[in-house]
Amino acid sequence: MPKRTDIKRILLIGSGPIIIGQACEFDYSGSQACKALKEEGYEVILVNSNPATIMTDPDMADKIYIEPLIAEIVAKIIEKERPDALLPTLGGQTALNITTQLYEMGILDKFKVKLIGANYYAIKKAEDRELFKKSMEKIGLKVPKSGIAHNLKEAEEVAKKIGFPVIIRPAYTLGGTGSSIAYNIEEFREYAEVGLKASLISEILIEQSLYGWKEYELEVMRDLKDNVVIICSIENFDPMGVHTGDSITVAPVQTLTDKEYQNMRDAAIKIIREIGVETGGSNIQFAVNPENGEMVVIEMNPRVSRSSALASKATGFPIAKIATKLAIGYTLDEIPNDITKKTPACFEPTIDYCVVKIPKFNFEKFPGSLPYLSTSMKSVGEVMAIGRTFKEALQKALRSLEENFFGLEDINLKMELEDGLRIPNPYRVFYIKKAIKEGKTIDEIYNLCKIDKWFLSNIKEIVDFEKEIEKFKNREIDYETMKKAKELGFSDRQIGKIVGKSEIEIRNLRKRYGIEVDYKCVDTCAAEFIAYTPYYYSTYEHPEVIKLE
Amino acid sequence: MEKRVIILGGGPNRIGQGIEFDYCCVHASFALKEDGYESIMVNCNPETVSTDYDTSTRLYFEPITFEDVMNIIEKEKPIGVILQFGGQTPLKLALPLKNEGVKILGTDPVAIDIAEDRKKFSKLLEKLNLNQPPNGTAFTYEEAKKIANELGYPVLVRPSYVLGGRAMEIVYDEESLKEYIEKAVEVSPEHPILIDKFLEDAIEVDVDAICDGQICVIGGVMEHIEEAGIHSGDSAMVLPPYSLKKEIVEEIKESTKKIALSLNIIGLINIQYAIKNDKVYVLEVNPRASRTIPFVSKAIGIPLAKLATKIMLGKNLKELNFTEEIELNYFAVKESVFPFNRFGNVDAVLGPEMKSTGEVMGIDKSFEIAYAKSQLAAGQNLPIRGNVFISVKDKDKPHIISIAKELEILGFKILASAGTGKVLSEAGVNVKIIPKIYEGRPNILDYIINDEISLIINTPSGKKPKKDIVSIRTIAVQRNIPLITTIPGAKATLYAIKKLKESQLNVIDIKEYYKMRKDGGNN
Repeated sequence: MPKRTDIKRILLIGSGPIIIGQACEFDYSGSQACKALKEEGYEVILVNSNPATIMTDPDMADKIYIEPLIAEIVAKIIEKERPDALLPTLGGQTALNITTQLYEMGILDKFKVKLIGANYYAIKKAEDRELFKKSMEKIGLKVPKSGIAHNLKEAEEVAKKIGFPVIIRPAYTLGGTGSSIAYNIEEFREYAEVGLKASLISEILIEQSLYGWKEYELEVMRDLKDNVVIICSIENFDPMGVHTGDSITVAPVQTLTDKEYQNMRDAAIKIIREIGVETGGSNIQFAVNPENGEMVVIEMNPRVSRSSALASKATGFPIAKIATKLAIGYTLDEIPNDITKKTPACFEPTIDYCVVKIPKFNFEKFPGSLPYLSTSMKSVGEVMAIGRTFKEALQKALRSLEENFFGLEDINLKMELEDGLRIPNPYRVFYIKKAIKEGKTIDEIYNLCKIDKWFLSNIKEIVDFEKEIEKFKNREIDYETMKKAKELGFSDRQIGKIVGKSEIEIRNLRKRYGIEVDYKCVDTCAAEFIAYTPYYYSTYEHPEVIKLE
Repeated sequence: MEKRVIILGGGPNRIGQGIEFDYCCVHASFALKEDGYESIMVNCNPETVSTDYDTSTRLYFEPITFEDVMNIIEKEKPIGVILQFGGQTPLKLALPLKNEGVKILGTDPVAIDIAEDRKKFSKLLEKLNLNQPPNGTAFTYEEAKKIANELGYPVLVRPSYVLGGRAMEIVYDEESLKEYIEKAVEVSPEHPILIDKFLEDAIEVDVDAICDGQICVIGGVMEHIEEAGIHSGDSAMVLPPYSLKKEIVEEIKESTKKIALSLNIIGLINIQYAIKNDKVYVLEVNPRASRTIPFVSKAIGIPLAKLATKIMLGKNLKELNFTEEIELNYFAVKESVFPFNRFGNVDAVLGPEMKSTGEVMGIDKSFEIAYAKSQLAAGQNLPIRGNVFISVKDKDKPHIISIAKELEILGFKILASAGTGKVLSEAGVNVKIIPKIYEGRPNILDYIINDEISLIINTPSGKKPKKDIVSIRTIAVQRNIPLITTIPGAKATLYAIKKLKESQLNVIDIKEYYKMRKDGGNN
């Protein structure tokens, strides 16, 4: 289908200041959207209150309003600029909330502004817990047991019906503000009150806690011809109970059987169709019971999200740009993939590497706060690393954090070992290391933290190999050990620390052995086609190449 | 083959190092491409524009550590590396990379050393005949005590080995100094602590400038709204200054140029000043892109980071046609946003340690409206009527009277704690005294919960706050009630409310403002 010619001026709403739960990923998506719209010859009117963004640079849009992101102000901009359409899905929850308000105030009708990317009813169906639950039940998918309350009395009745522990989620907030887990009625009363206050419409959802279940996300896109593609699958390292933004996450999923994964894909496709996001990207979260593979749908974001940015970077597939092009009428088969230039956007990306994201925390800045993780997001940033294996990517991600460890080292841990495993916290992966070193079995560790045994076994491989490296304390490490260590993601500095040498000494020795890093390309297609806009990641994996005579 | 330049990014976002540095790195990449270089970006933060696939010629999704960066340098063989845009992360690699023979583009790492080494820095200021707050370095508690006594309390103390205001504190007496040293930091011959005379009630100013080694042009002079002692990353700022005398602003500009040229800055420089009794003190010099570069660039309409990149590659300001400072006839206010609502029972108070996660800008022809817009954008819903609760520390009590009087004239009802209420009542303000928490019912907490308070002015005392003062602020944050914790903040808010009552907020395209500039937007 050709692009729409009935619209010429498009209003784009940004996400405002960087806050926990809504960071610069929306500058990334907004900038891509601006570029995509201008490329297609549309006039772009932009509003964002954050000056530290690329999207508010003078040449990114035709009109740039650095003004407060509140509905009344955006209404004034609409009145002045008279855009034909509003694209609300690239500025996070802020843009979506303002759009809903503008619709309900009648501003969009009054000035004949069309919503593109997601319509009001799709937003409502995805965001309103009760409507969402009904939609899921309609297409035969399970959601956690839950109920809605508008005051404390209602809330208590719902909680009693579901049974403790329960999760309390305020409606219409971002990054899980005011969301929490209550284990008893007293905690419940306290949290429910905070939640009611945090919600724009004084509404909370009380939900069955899926403690110990595994958590997944799929990034999905749909076009006007009803094509649906899955861009990326993401698995949370931490089980349910930790906000996705605060969990270590891994792409692609690692611990599902093919059957489980195909079920999840099918469900995602059904969901985006049922909710009615006609064009663009959505993020859908699932939980899977490790005991029996039972799957429930947790939630859906009918917009580009934090995970979309991660999925884009992990696969090379520019979700925000494609979402924008879909919103103005193109279909997935019509949009070329910039990286291969050959394949259209309806080719699902293929990943032949492993991506690990680790969040970054700043608890030390807030004396009195406890460094525990829960359903309300607390991290202030994140790093992503790419490797050939989970082990390599994990160690690279850890040293990207700039916290004075250069891989999975031994660090000072403050909690008792069992607490550190049981209570989600920023350093849980180091507690796992400690437990392995102290001789705890994978099963024992699993019972405390419920992190999938596949991840635990991989961490054990790293820890076990550290012992091999240790054998070279104060003498020259041999070629084989060095090579294996690098493949497992150990940094020069980390190896040096283990054997009592400096980083430079290890580096020089490694070079003498001819063990050099290799760079591989993130190309969306696992090297099936040539990549034109390459970006790279390093690895020490050098596959044996069999040469045919 | 085209010439290649590597840009080191800022790594993960964190408080103190956020999107501002990514913005600068992206501009560096754009500038390189414009001038025909291949730009090679290294970063590991997936949230950013710098790690987008089409921002640079090539992108390496890698940790920013010596090992990973050296590997890329060996592969790409660049003509140089840019590391003054990514915040502290790449700066830490300046010397290790230089030692390996890597060319660092722009300001020589030696300048960084001078700015960060206290002795060398003092010498430089002395040579240039500039003032700095009296200070000293202590290696033991006894020494610290002696220095603090000589300087006179309050003093600003911080460990010498951390940056970004971490563990920095204002100490008002010997007892607190002892507590700080016992609890907060280690003091030893390896880890001395730095002690500065704290300039109470001084006005702080941030300056961003650009220098090519021959000339230095001021990007912007920003006056902080909050008084000295609040981290510059947390303070609201206004560009151009709204209350400083013209001569003082001129003196600040001249000092900036002197420092930039004597450090032989090639690129950007940021300097922080404090002004007390019309005397200008230099607090800190950062020979690199600062957090305020995007704000200044947006306010004046000049892409400073882009220009700085071109300078690092050999162009000069004359060639770039930027030799005169831009004079604004409108105001841009930067306000910070805070994550206090995420952390439960923490005190929502500002200090020398940075706590904000992000920023917004309010822009208008009048300072008051620009400030009001910045507050609205930051989520503070300034009321134009209702009840104001005031409780301030003793030192602030004389200053709150005129503010309370004006609020009363504007139609607000004034509620206050006993101490503040007494002062206000004696000054003729019609005030209702309500108990603090633990002082009886219904107390301030009840009023807050019943939604009967639309604005809170609550300044913390310098010493450890009492338990219930923490609660008032904590509850205010949880309930999203506008909270002001400084007197200058209260004044600015008062002006903003006054203006909001009499006029409408107008929205204007930022590019229209550039056309309003005195140079007609021609630069």
